[in-house]
Amino acid sequence: MLYRVRKYPVFFAGLVLPAALIVGFLILYPVVNGIVLSFTDASPLRPELPQFVGLENYEYLLEDDVYYASVVNTSYIVFVSSALAVIMGFFCALLLHFGVKRFAPLFRSLVFQVWVFPWICITILWGWLFNTDYGLINYMLTASGITETNLDILFHETGAQWVMIAGFTWRSIPFLMVIALAGLQSISTEILEASELDGARFVNRIGHIILPLIRNVLMVALLLDSVRFFQEMTLPLLLTQGGPINATMVLSLFTYQLAFENWDFALASAAGTLWLAFLIIVAWLILRFGMKKEHVK
Amino acid sequence: MSNPTRPLVTYRNINAMAAYTIAISAFAFLLLPIYWLVVTSFKPLESLFVVPPELWPHEFTFTNYVNQFDTRLIRMFQNSLIVSGAAAVLSTFAGSLCAYAISRFYFPYKNALLLFFLASMAFPLPLLMITMYSTFYQLGLLDTYWALILGNTTLGLPLSVWLMTKFIDQIAVDMEEAALLDGAPPFSVLIHIVLPMVRPGLAASAIFVFVTSWNELLMGLTFVSSPEVRTLPAGITLAFLGEFEGDWSEMMALAVMVTLPVFLLFMVMQKSFLKGMTAGALK
Repeated sequence: MLYRVRKYPVFFAGLVLPAALIVGFLILYPVVNGIVLSFTDASPLRPELPQFVGLENYEYLLEDDVYYASVVNTSYIVFVSSALAVIMGFFCALLLHFGVKRFAPLFRSLVFQVWVFPWICITILWGWLFNTDYGLINYMLTASGITETNLDILFHETGAQWVMIAGFTWRSIPFLMVIALAGLQSISTEILEASELDGARFVNRIGHIILPLIRNVLMVALLLDSVRFFQEMTLPLLLTQGGPINATMVLSLFTYQLAFENWDFALASAAGTLWLAFLIIVAWLILRFGMKKEHVK
Repeated sequence: MSNPTRPLVTYRNINAMAAYTIAISAFAFLLLPIYWLVVTSFKPLESLFVVPPELWPHEFTFTNYVNQFDTRLIRMFQNSLIVSGAAAVLSTFAGSLCAYAISRFYFPYKNALLLFFLASMAFPLPLLMITMYSTFYQLGLLDTYWALILGNTTLGLPLSVWLMTKFIDQIAVDMEEAALLDGAPPFSVLIHIVLPMVRPGLAASAIFVFVTSWNELLMGLTFVSSPEVRTLPAGITLAFLGEFEGDWSEMMALAVMVTLPVFLLFMVMQKSFLKGMTAGALK
């Protein structure tokens, strides 16, 4: 370490101050304040000071069917799209690394661009692709004989959910592919060559050597991406407004609408606090059971 | 050139051909939506509603793009540029200073602090926005650029800190040590020695925050209400939910125009961004 805080206190304070101000006022305080608000009846529509109401907001949420639907839908959509993205991203990385190694950098930079595609544009594009009468997806489905007539995909419960899943998966395959590719490139060729000489088949090499070696990398990438899925609500907000029959009502949309459409800050804070608690539990589970301990470092 | 004793088609060739075929079709499938977006944006509206759809436009037109250029859209582009640019600069500034402290100072719970930054990206945005809204209201910042700039800086800061810490960790401490021994003040060590060496990191952080702010919708919808300060995603959302009447080709042209700036920026910094991300993920 180059510096000690005791020797350079002013320098240290100057370095940390801007970030600390932002984190303190716009991250820490809002989280703490949000948790406090969840026990009150705060709302900007009410002029008087918020009253303490105990667990009323939580009791209300736990009896609300829409809230339940949003928890179930969010878990389902995030889980399925994360799983699909990780499998397909890993597959693409394998293809690049072992199949078309010479063109890997070109393919990588082409596909990675998808990762910055603005959500608002994906949403509009998805609306057009899944359009009932003239959408490309419906055309492909009918032309290939999978369906006989055009489907109202966006107005069908399962269909709308899969439109969301397709959006999430499509956008995050590139990220997982790039991370998995970096992981593959970090594996020393000697290990793979040794196993090849020993006669291990390609499938076995993937399962027994490659996957265990890059498992942690994939897990971290997966965690980062699923956390982003939790926040993302452009697709349901614009395309389905949570419908049909709340099939695409996700936690972020539910909480946002409570706060800034119904202006019920207290109830929204309770929903946000439960969401935070849920995330902490899931993250803990993944870190505890999903990661492999590194023995030697 | 060809060796007559070697067969032209070998197992090796077949395997390679299969790999190329699968790879090209997989990536064509991934890029198909973008192709469809671009192609549709060049079609006249009438030719959108034909069955089967034209995979290649019979008639090219630029009117979808030309029609977009009104004062309202130019205003929104300008607003998005100001907000995203300012957030990128602020977040990278605060983030790299803090990262230098994390990387070079000795203090306890350093890893916990980094982990907190990483975890804070997962905090529910609507929950944060409730208090941000009240704070900005009290400070009179609602409906100004500042609400959006501060909000986006907050969202970008964790990644700036994380990325910059990884970049600073990678450079050897010797030069700084020598400069300090020669009596240079620590602040000028940071400015003249460290920052020039992490320029790719600074660029990666700034462009990443720019891209996420360019993308940001919720705060743009909530913290500002007048069209003079409205950003692109919020403006498009309101148009899409309000006055949109099925003019998909113009919507696609708009989407292409919104995407293009971040595509170009990201192409430039992909390498240094990857370097920072994978250094973070692989360690």
